[in-house]
Amino acid sequence: MSEKILQLSSMGIKFGGIVAIDELNLEVNEKEIVAIIGPNGAGKTTAFNCITGIYTPTSGDIYYLGRSILNVKPERITALGIARTFQNIRLFKELTVFENVIIALHLRYKDNLFTSTFKLNFKKEEEKIKEAEKLLKSQNLYKYKDEISQSLSYGLQRRLEIARALATKPKLLLLDEPAAGMNPQETNELTEYIKRIRDEYDVSILLIEHHMDLVMDISDKIYVIDFGKLIAEGTSKEIQNNDKVIKAYLGEEENA
Amino acid sequence: MKIKFLIKNLNIILSVIMILLCLAFLFIIDANNGSNKYLITIIEKSLVYAVVALSMNLVIGFTGLFSLGQAGFMAIGAYITAIFTIPIKFRESIYYVEGINADLATMTLPIPIAIILGGLVAAIIAAIIGIPILTLKSDYLAIATLGLSEIIRAVIASPMMNTITNGSYGLKRIPSFSGVLECFIYCGICILLMALVINSSYGRDFKAIREDEVAARAVGIDIFKAKEISFVISSFFAGVAGGLLAMFMRSIESRTFSVNLTYEILLIVVLGGIGSITGSIIGSFVVNIGKEALRVFDKPFTIFGFMVDWPIFREGFRMVIFSILLMVVVLFFKKGIMGGKEFTFDNIIKFFKKKGEKHE
Ligand SMILES: Nc1ncnc2c1ncn2[C@@H]1O[C@H](COP(=O)(O)OP(=O)(O)OP(=O)(O)O)[C@@H](O)[C@H]1O
Ligand SMILES: [Mg+2]
Repeated sequence: MSEKILQLSSMGIKFGGIVAIDELNLEVNEKEIVAIIGPNGAGKTTAFNCITGIYTPTSGDIYYLGRSILNVKPERITALGIARTFQNIRLFKELTVFENVIIALHLRYKDNLFTSTFKLNFKKEEEKIKEAEKLLKSQNLYKYKDEISQSLSYGLQRRLEIARALATKPKLLLLDEPAAGMNPQETNELTEYIKRIRDEYDVSILLIEHHMDLVMDISDKIYVIDFGKLIAEGTSKEIQNNDKVIKAYLGEEENA
Repeated sequence: MKIKFLIKNLNIILSVIMILLCLAFLFIIDANNGSNKYLITIIEKSLVYAVVALSMNLVIGFTGLFSLGQAGFMAIGAYITAIFTIPIKFRESIYYVEGINADLATMTLPIPIAIILGGLVAAIIAAIIGIPILTLKSDYLAIATLGLSEIIRAVIASPMMNTITNGSYGLKRIPSFSGVLECFIYCGICILLMALVINSSYGRDFKAIREDEVAARAVGIDIFKAKEISFVISSFFAGVAGGLLAMFMRSIESRTFSVNLTYEILLIVVLGGIGSITGSIIGSFVVNIGKEALRVFDKPFTIFGFMVDWPIFREGFRMVIFSILLMVVVLFFKKGIMGGKEFTFDNIIKFFKKKGEKHE
């Protein structure tokens, strides 16, 4: 049996009186690609924010590798092995592509102020630079190394954000709408790209996505949430034929 | 082979040459200090202000913390330096009001030690006060640090401190630099150390926090610890710069370190370029030289043989002109002179290369 990486057990969160997520149960196993889908405002990003410690759930629990991470700070959660990207891209905008990646390597190459200031750690620094360059090459970003990150195209920015997340050597990678803002060709390439990341970096992937073709193609398991409630879970086939899911999505289209 | 090595290290070579030229220039000025008093004053002031400006830029420009406590930390450094370096024979006459504290009366420290001690005390106070206030959002942080700065000043000036700080009467006869070269060396070391921190992995973390706190945490940066380190280092150098300022001015009083001083430094930081080391240095010289150059407008002056004697050209008018110029800069060059970039020979070479490519 494969190892359980992430488990949400009846996790819920309220903002004031509003229930954003209600009793969510979810599991990600080793090397799985799992998708969360659902209409706008369903609570998908909120779930990510709970897992990464930005919000603290008001009920239930979150287990990572069998341990509760309920009150762990975001930076500690990253150190434990959960990395993420953001729906509206959060790069270090004014910094270069290279700096964006090397900053994420600091976590694994700890350094004290003295050695780092007086460059007594140049061996480590060299290793760090090498690893950053290797990562950029593997993501086809090396030629943009010295560009300011916000000057890149949307698609490249998304890829850089993924590269930065991978630099922390995660066991679990959370992708919040990776295809948003990408052109059709980039979106098509994304399927292979995500699979390649999983195999090359040995990560499990939990992603939020609105592009159904991509989701159906790539996911081992899909969770559907609507108004903060889990309305279905299963394989692509099971989800495609689920009445509730069809209703939730059709309902949304009628409103739109 | 040799030429390649030269080109590769051109930046370092040119920088070293530049520093040597500066040293030679200062050496010549020092040798003729009789005729160069005015010039020496301006250079020394600009150097000391460059240190404070860079310390402020470290928190504001590189870490994104809008902290306005610099004057307070400078006051700590200035007073500690003064208290431990004023020659013993003058002390009785300086503390004429209530006399000097018996323990301090005969205590002296070598100048560099006193300056470092001033920096350390400022750093310790910053470390303690940083714990509650560094979690505040920017405008609240600005108010809290301004308040802290004023509290420090009020404590120094309070009558209860008469036997230590001489209260509101100030301190005199602080030993000064032996020459502009000494000032350059002290300030140069401070600037170099701060530049090294900014270019270390810690400096990169500071910049990440400035860009996006949520993303910084998401890549594992302990943002609270990093902010605290930045704030403490900045305060240390503000304290050191306070000591240097005391040496430059030779006499200090608590009013020297009012909020106005912080604003003056902020102006240099903004003018030079937020997030630029060389910007703060250039900004300091521009502001200090500019203020002197505009002195002509403080009284009636002659231009092309005509006597201009409008009633506005009186004491203080140069500050009006100066403020207008500043507004123009802020409005039209939002990012200051350097705009977050650095003045290095590498960048100059790159700049001209790019220009060349465009022409082709
Ligand atoms: N900090 C907060 N305070 C109050 N309400 C919040 C907060 N964060 C999220 N919400 C609410 O929670 C609900 C879910 O939002 P969320 O961003 O998770 O939706 P989503 O499923 O990611 O939608 P989309 O597909 O548009 O990204 C929304 O109604 C939102 O207003
Ligand atoms: Mg969302």
